[in-house]
Amino acid sequence: MSALQLAADGLALGAAYALVAAGFVLALNASRAVNFAHGDTVMAGGFLSVALAGVLPVPGIALLPLVLGLMALFGVALAAVAYFPLRGRPPVAVFVSTIAAGIVLQNAATAWFGAAPRAGPPLVGGGAIELGFAVLPRQSAAMIAAAGLVYLGLRTLLTRTQTGRRLRAAAQDPGMAEALGIPVAAMTAISFAIAAALAGAAGLLLSNSFFVTPAEGGNFMLKAYIAAAIGGWGRLHGAALGALMIGVFETAVAAAFWQIWAEALLYTALLLILLFRPSGLFGEAAGTRA
Amino acid sequence: MRAPRLISVSCIAAAVAAAPALAEPQRLPVLVPITGFLALEGTSQRNGALLALKTAPGLAAAEVQDTAAAPETAVNAFEKALSAGPVPAVVAPMLGTQMLALLPLAAERKVPLVTVSGTAQLTEMGNPYVFRFFPGDAVVKAAHARYVVEELKARRPAVIYQTTAYGQSGRQMLADAFNRLGATVAFEEGVAPAVKDYRPVLAKALEARPDALVLHLHAGPTALLIRQAAGMTGVPRIVAGSAMHQPATAALLEPAELKGVCAETGSSPISGGSKDIEDWTALYRKEFAAEPDAFALGQYDGAMMVLAALKSGARTPAAVRDYLATRTHRGLAMSYRSDGKGNMAHDALIVCFDGKDRTPRIVKRYSAPAG
Repeated sequence: MSALQLAADGLALGAAYALVAAGFVLALNASRAVNFAHGDTVMAGGFLSVALAGVLPVPGIALLPLVLGLMALFGVALAAVAYFPLRGRPPVAVFVSTIAAGIVLQNAATAWFGAAPRAGPPLVGGGAIELGFAVLPRQSAAMIAAAGLVYLGLRTLLTRTQTGRRLRAAAQDPGMAEALGIPVAAMTAISFAIAAALAGAAGLLLSNSFFVTPAEGGNFMLKAYIAAAIGGWGRLHGAALGALMIGVFETAVAAAFWQIWAEALLYTALLLILLFRPSGLFGEAAGTRA
Repeated sequence: MRAPRLISVSCIAAAVAAAPALAEPQRLPVLVPITGFLALEGTSQRNGALLALKTAPGLAAAEVQDTAAAPETAVNAFEKALSAGPVPAVVAPMLGTQMLALLPLAAERKVPLVTVSGTAQLTEMGNPYVFRFFPGDAVVKAAHARYVVEELKARRPAVIYQTTAYGQSGRQMLADAFNRLGATVAFEEGVAPAVKDYRPVLAKALEARPDALVLHLHAGPTALLIRQAAGMTGVPRIVAGSAMHQPATAALLEPAELKGVCAETGSSPISGGSKDIEDWTALYRKEFAAEPDAFALGQYDGAMMVLAALKSGARTPAAVRDYLATRTHRGLAMSYRSDGKGNMAHDALIVCFDGKDRTPRIVKRYSAPAG
């Protein structure tokens, strides 16, 4: 197995993590508090894909728009339950409410789908792409391509549309945005919707190759948190890049040393980054740390 | 090699039902992890206990409590169960850390714990109130290593294990067993349960040119590794830990990905082997709309032995404990008898998949494989 092939595998995983991290930062910037249910939202997206595949036996890539749409609605519901009633309270209130929402999601998934790991639909057919110097599994290639497309869509929305400009304005300075007539509450709800849609897409991408279990949301949450810290708290592209780096770093370290060191070295690298670049590799965007 | 002596489900049910009825069914707390990371196995454990108690509604009634994944939750559940009145025994969680927290309480309250936890330490602490109806690592890992060396003729196995307490304990048992059998471990590495990409560790294992790949991983990681190994070339025979025998694990993989994969286990009800097992499996499927595994069958047998104790006239926890400690119980999976430490199960199986479906075939039975 070539180093390039291992890097491609790491990149595929990192691409899915990038969607998770981007969603995490969007909700963070909109609410100014960490949404601890975000990892469980990824898990929910994975189980939604499993459920949809049972009803619509089509490749996962065809289910992607449906997953994005349904998870966006879920994001609005999550904001209505776990964020809006506590808006204006200290961030710790939102921490606790989103932790509670995550636990509810986890137990609901166990009740509905059972505790066993489940496999979602393959994005495309099986097999591998022969590149001459490496063999890339089709699933990995499809994960990278699909994540890239979704991220491109997000970037277009945020930079080329009026809604995107309003979203960014409401996130940067809610008071000023409100004064200018921007409906900040609606923008926050939309941010939660997009964040959940991205998490759901990541859940779909990961569910076939890496399965989905009710209890794994915490791991995704941790990855998103680290990616945001590496990329710069509140930096959307920084977090996405940080997530890509995590995927490749873990695979590279595991291949070169012991697997057990991959995680330890990841946290060591994080500590070094925070020591020498406290605001992350690309600087902080959010004014306050949560 | 001695095949387990089996008695029919209907016979057990009839015998227990024919027992002189008590004034009221005794309460039998069933404390199991049905949420959290061990929910899959805990649900099987609960189902096994419930199926046993269903055969004797006049004798004992189940009171199920979820112990989730934290030791303190198990302790609270235990205290709550005992605060409501005396119980003859407790079906105790299979999660080792929870069992370690419950052991001193069981000794203090003098209540026997009946479990399917595989953690070796539980029965090495001199606690007379623990009874394990699932072969411990000392048994199954000995069978695991013997199959690799004696049947597959492997001399340079690679071992990939989980970095959890479960994984570390199994790795040590495997290392000792391979050493006794004269095999040299060509490669070994621990992997955290959260790892998603196993290709790096697989690539390194293959570089060591092993003649067998021995896994000691939890259910999800086992399936992940086997799927990723199926896409690689030069992978030798895989002999996995007991997680691979679980129907829920096999359901994650295509039959072709499972071809040639073997696993150790205490039992494999879906593999059949006798009419009694097949009847029990059909009953389990009907009752729970799920596939049974070795944990369900082990806990069923354990609960049936408690019922047999009650039927024999044991009315107090002390009497039930004495019965469990001294008597032999012919269960469906095997015959159970305490080794003096509470280890009741001493047999192990090796099952293999032929690539045609997801039902493993029993290829080898071991009775007391560690000697």
